[in-house]
Amino acid sequence: MSDTPDHVVKSYDQELKRLRNMMTQMGGIVESQVALAAEAIMHRDAASATRVVEEDPKVDALEREVEAFVIRMLALRQPVAADLRHIVAALKITGDLERIGDYAANVAKRSIVLAQFSLPYSLAGLAHMAVMVQGQLKSIIDALGDNDADKAVEVWRSDQVVDDIYNAIFRELITYMMEDPRNITPCTHLLFIAKNLERIGDHATNVAENLYYAVKGESLPDSRPKGDTSAYAVVRPRE
Amino acid sequence: MSATTTMRTLPGPAKNQAVSRALGRRRYRMNRLVKVLCVAATVLGILLLASILLTLVWRGAAGLSVSVFTQSTRPPGSNGGLLNAIVGTLIQTGIGTLVGTPIGLMVGTYLAEYGRNSAMANAVRFVSDVLLSAPSILIGLFIYQLCVEPFGGFSGIAGCLALAVIVIPIVVRTTEDMLQLIAPSLREAAVALGAPKWKVIVLICYRAAKDGIVTGILLAVARIAGETAPLLFTSLGNLNWSISLAQPMASLPVTIYQYAGSAFEDWVQLAWVGALLITVGVLATNILARVALRGRRAS
Amino acid sequence: MSEAMSRTQDQQANFGGMHARSNSNLNETRISIRNLDFYYGSNQALKHINLDFPNRQVTGMIGPSGCGKSTLLRVLNRMYDLYPGQRATGEVLIDGENIIDPSVDLNALRARIGMVFQKPTPFPMTIYDNIAFGVKLHEKLSKAEMDERVEWSLTRGALWGEVKDRLNTSAMGLSGGQQQRLCIARTIAVRPEVILLDEPTSALDPISTLKIEELIDELKNDFTIAIVTHNMQQAARCADQVAFFYLGEMVEVAPAGQMFTAPKERRTQEYITGRFG
Repeated sequence: MSDTPDHVVKSYDQELKRLRNMMTQMGGIVESQVALAAEAIMHRDAASATRVVEEDPKVDALEREVEAFVIRMLALRQPVAADLRHIVAALKITGDLERIGDYAANVAKRSIVLAQFSLPYSLAGLAHMAVMVQGQLKSIIDALGDNDADKAVEVWRSDQVVDDIYNAIFRELITYMMEDPRNITPCTHLLFIAKNLERIGDHATNVAENLYYAVKGESLPDSRPKGDTSAYAVVRPRE
Repeated sequence: MSATTTMRTLPGPAKNQAVSRALGRRRYRMNRLVKVLCVAATVLGILLLASILLTLVWRGAAGLSVSVFTQSTRPPGSNGGLLNAIVGTLIQTGIGTLVGTPIGLMVGTYLAEYGRNSAMANAVRFVSDVLLSAPSILIGLFIYQLCVEPFGGFSGIAGCLALAVIVIPIVVRTTEDMLQLIAPSLREAAVALGAPKWKVIVLICYRAAKDGIVTGILLAVARIAGETAPLLFTSLGNLNWSISLAQPMASLPVTIYQYAGSAFEDWVQLAWVGALLITVGVLATNILARVALRGRRAS
Repeated sequence: MSEAMSRTQDQQANFGGMHARSNSNLNETRISIRNLDFYYGSNQALKHINLDFPNRQVTGMIGPSGCGKSTLLRVLNRMYDLYPGQRATGEVLIDGENIIDPSVDLNALRARIGMVFQKPTPFPMTIYDNIAFGVKLHEKLSKAEMDERVEWSLTRGALWGEVKDRLNTSAMGLSGGQQQRLCIARTIAVRPEVILLDEPTSALDPISTLKIEELIDELKNDFTIAIVTHNMQQAARCADQVAFFYLGEMVEVAPAGQMFTAPKERRTQEYITGRFG
């Protein structure tokens, strides 16, 4: 988009820029929320957890601001073609970002509860998942700032890996729960945390799809690797 | 230029208030002076016209009587009238218009619709304009050469033809001007429906220019009604009653010419009456033209 | 657009048993332009145009001033014949016949391809005579048939209700929007196959504009329509397919939905989003 000429009406370009800035600002806050939430789980850091929850209203406010701005631009500018796609994408993307923020807050809240338990098993898988998801998020938010469709495709593909890890964690946690009933409470929390992280990955993929359509004008094929098979998972105890 | 720069003050010396005021006063005085001059000129013009009309009415009305309209011209002292002159003018004006108008219409149409800017059209236009302001006595002489000499005598028809030749350039000019005023989009709209060119001209253009063309014709009529010089060499004038086109024919302008310079009082009086009649006739035609135009434009 | 594809032939104009002239199939091409070049004197105004006008659909033509879209429209009914020094080469095929050929009967052509201009041009006659004018050029109808035709045209032109009581008054007394609808009704009256609209609402107020756009929407059930417009939103609202012209070339032609959400050519994108360098 940097090689296309500017709008004849400069205020139009300024408004589009402002929209993009609001999106990347939101992306930045959400990124830090997810990072802090991961910190909170791994290092049982209550302070980090509280910060995550405190940031959430800011994200919500930004989303509402973007929504109002988009509606105004649609009414007043009658955008077409790429402008229209970008503006509508902004609406959907900020919706996804806001959900990511909510999931991060959920994770943070659960981490406070989790900190009360001493866990005999390793959280390495979860840590790995958190790192992947943060990587996805960082990639896609950078791609947003640069309108990079190729990066968006990468992020879109990488969700498969996150889903695989989630499936593994799912089975692992159920195994722990079956071994010892005292594990049920922490493992349930861990399940939800893992699920939330996986949803964050999904929403990041949504953002990637919306960005791709906005830049290219075509949708990514429907067959997104949806690798979350936990819906069909059955774990039987070893007899 | 970015929309965010503010307008800086223009370079140059600041306004000097005293100078502005002085210039303002001078402008005001010039305004009033010109206005006074215009009004004075208008008053002068109106006074002149009014005095002519008043003289005509005063001198002419005095001689108005029924016999003016029922008696032909007679030797002085026999209580004659102007009947043959009036009828002669009516006939010659009528036939002159009837002959000249179609020719003028077609030439004007050619210039506006077919020739436009071609060499031929420009030549025709030039000739027509020259003819428009040619001295009418020359036209009379031309018809004399054409219609009087070869046939050995003055005739009413020669008079009609002379008047027709005067009518033609007037109608050509007004027709061409009025047709050119028609928006090209109107013509194109008719063509777009599949109308051949002649139908576009006759059914659309003429209808649209109707008011202007009719005004032009009426103005031509008003002009030839008062022409004297061309008739002197063509229809000559006739002291007796005659409506034969092969014979000399009386007309009001020629009769006025003959009577006004005579020594006989009743003839001079009749001359004034004739002048009044022509003036009233021309005035009425002009007013009729304007009213007709305004009336149709309002609809 | 998919709705247009599934419409059957039976849905023709039907009023008092009168059908629009064309009985041809949908999804056919009504007019086919091949390698058209157009010259104003020595200046080439249209370069190598190839464009199809699908049957019973609205084709919009957009582009900046002087790009040749109006010129192209006026080629379709040979309007340029009125002006010496303007000439066209190439093919404009209607039913296989090349209408640029000098042997074509222009009056018959213009009865098949009607045109409405930017400035409403009612003839200086009564409303009835305005409509009858075109019909009388090509057909011989009895008074009753002519009355019916006038009523049909004015009804299809969305004007009947407003003028049915004053058919014998002068057409010059109508408002601008009404006059333009009269011009459209006048064009329909000769039952053409194609209607060309050259910026039909540029001179009208917004409400008249919308009424005419609604009219276009109805008319396309029976007539193939080509519309030139400066107003891109109008092309977006009215047209089924849109062609973008620039400096005498046709840059892109696409269905309207695609043209205004994801055009393929960079020049198209720049023009319609308002970014001309």
